[in-house]
Amino acid sequence: MDFLEVKNINKSFKNKKILKDVSFSIKKGEISSIFGYSGEGKSTVLSIICGLLKQDSGDVFLNGKNIGKMEPYERSISLVMDEPLLFPNMNIMENIAFGLKLNKNKAKLSLHKQNKKSVKDIVLNIMDILGISGLENRFPNEISMGQSQRISLARAIVTNPDIILMDEPFSNLDIISKTKVRSLIKKIQKELKITILLVTHDIEDIMNLSDTMFILNKGYIQEFGNPEDIIKKPSSWDTACLMGTDNIFEGKIMSVDKKNNKITIYFKNNGSDNDWYIECYYQPEFEENEDVYFVIRPEDIIILREDRMPSNAVKENHFKGKITSAVFTSRMMEILISTSENQLGNIQFKVLMPFHAYEIMKLSAGKTVSISLKKSAIHIIKKKQHVNGKLQ
Amino acid sequence: MQIFKKLFIRNNKIFDIIVFFISFVFFISLALILSGIFFQTSLKIFISELSNIHLWNSIFLSFKLSSLVVLINLIIGIPLSYILSFKKNKFSFLLDLISTLPLTMSPLVIGFAVLITMGPLNPIGKFFISHGIKFVFTPQGIVLVQLIISFPFFVNILKESFDSINRKMINLSKTLGASSFEILYKIILPLSFNGLLAGIAMSWSRSIGEYAATQMVSGVIPNLTETAPIEVFVKTSYGNYPAAIAISALLMIISFMSLGVFKFFYYRAKLTK
Repeated sequence: MDFLEVKNINKSFKNKKILKDVSFSIKKGEISSIFGYSGEGKSTVLSIICGLLKQDSGDVFLNGKNIGKMEPYERSISLVMDEPLLFPNMNIMENIAFGLKLNKNKAKLSLHKQNKKSVKDIVLNIMDILGISGLENRFPNEISMGQSQRISLARAIVTNPDIILMDEPFSNLDIISKTKVRSLIKKIQKELKITILLVTHDIEDIMNLSDTMFILNKGYIQEFGNPEDIIKKPSSWDTACLMGTDNIFEGKIMSVDKKNNKITIYFKNNGSDNDWYIECYYQPEFEENEDVYFVIRPEDIIILREDRMPSNAVKENHFKGKITSAVFTSRMMEILISTSENQLGNIQFKVLMPFHAYEIMKLSAGKTVSISLKKSAIHIIKKKQHVNGKLQ
Repeated sequence: MQIFKKLFIRNNKIFDIIVFFISFVFFISLALILSGIFFQTSLKIFISELSNIHLWNSIFLSFKLSSLVVLINLIIGIPLSYILSFKKNKFSFLLDLISTLPLTMSPLVIGFAVLITMGPLNPIGKFFISHGIKFVFTPQGIVLVQLIISFPFFVNILKESFDSINRKMINLSKTLGASSFEILYKIILPLSFNGLLAGIAMSWSRSIGEYAATQMVSGVIPNLTETAPIEVFVKTSYGNYPAAIAISALLMIISFMSLGVFKFFYYRAKLTK
């Protein structure tokens, strides 16, 4: 049995069904995350797990015990929210020690007689780990947002809960504190072996932190697994969109060649057939003449250098196109390439490449380039999706 | 019309002058009217009236009763404001309405209602009388009506103060393991401390100055149910103006001070928000 199990949770607000039979389970000592669009009920799931909201039906099991009907303070689950929500009437020391001084945790601490440390020692220790020592006597309105969020984290960890829920803990932080807090969470998670369930709408949080991800879309868990697998091989069009896969194309399978490990797909651009096609490695369960989607991550498209003969590795799926725009985002150059001026026959590719490569190749908007789509990077998605065992 | 527009609507300076003038005139006349009683007497008579033991008895009685009222207010007001603020549901509206009703009702009507209900002809009154508790013409009766009249002040101020507490913070402290009682006395009450003090000051001043409802149930028994405001009326009806003036002056000073305490905490509560 898994550490935390959520079984068939249903919840509606004012006749609108937010969660439909949501079930998932997470393992001890892992960071799991729930990912989805805003307003899809991610926070509702967390509220139900920690007991702030009552589910319409379904159960929550923690460590094999049904906690679905307990009061929030009886469950050993802490919550960290997007705001630090420190108690303004207490200083930082008292804020962190708040949980320790409550009756419930007092009883819990006295059970483990081996750590006879005083409350003050425990608090100072956790503050040291989180890098906020020296703030003990300050008040919440005197410190920065990043520090406040770390204190909020300390306050949640210090009571030694079975699981910590985080509801978009980084969304109010600036980019520098965000990176800091993120790596801090990773560090302390390894050190203290805490189980964390994270809710976020930022794919970067998930790629950085989590071991398992659940995609919550339209009220049910649409997909789950290792984040890297999902981002490379999404099983549905919805997931692909959600994960920020920009190159999603419609196509029709021309031939399936299992022997030579090859599938050929026509682009079905704008509904009209044309002669553009790609080849990719064999993937099971596809038939000839089947309408499919196929995706390729923008990082996996290679722009070929004109001055060199293409090597074997990039000798596949060549297209010629014109750069329509090149934008420098925070980390990479984002390049849009169109194969044709004509709206109808046009196929647009999005390519991400490092800035130095962009400079060396002397690329610029308006230039015509050759690109190559790696066979191994192309992933085919079925048009008809099996969801929750039912055909949608 | 054009001139009016030019002078008033589109001119900030003239607007300011008019606003200040109206408030200032009102302020001056209010101060004159209220302090008028001080000019009607001489210092000598005033001091000789102050040495009257009867006067101090009524003042102390008022003090005692309204302090008791505040104490009961604390005991019933905190749970009531907690329910009104944190347990909102379909019936909160009704509860809020009922608990605010005494604010707008005539105090005389409230006093009369208590007089009738607690009288020997009413089943409720009969029940209490048969158990030896009398609410008519006794100090208990005064406490009861003053409680009815002053608790809406206390509850409303405290509720407003509770309402300003961040609900997400309350929820978060639940997940840290705090029970409802721990949340109440560790977070909610410390955070609404200013509101609590303001509520106490307000309900105390309201009940110490209360006349009409008190008069209905007091029966004007000297040293037992004759509170200071009643004493003023009694002395005035006898034509003993110097004595009435002395008590009024004391009452005025008391309410000035307690209202000052209220305003002080009220403004501090607003500032710290």
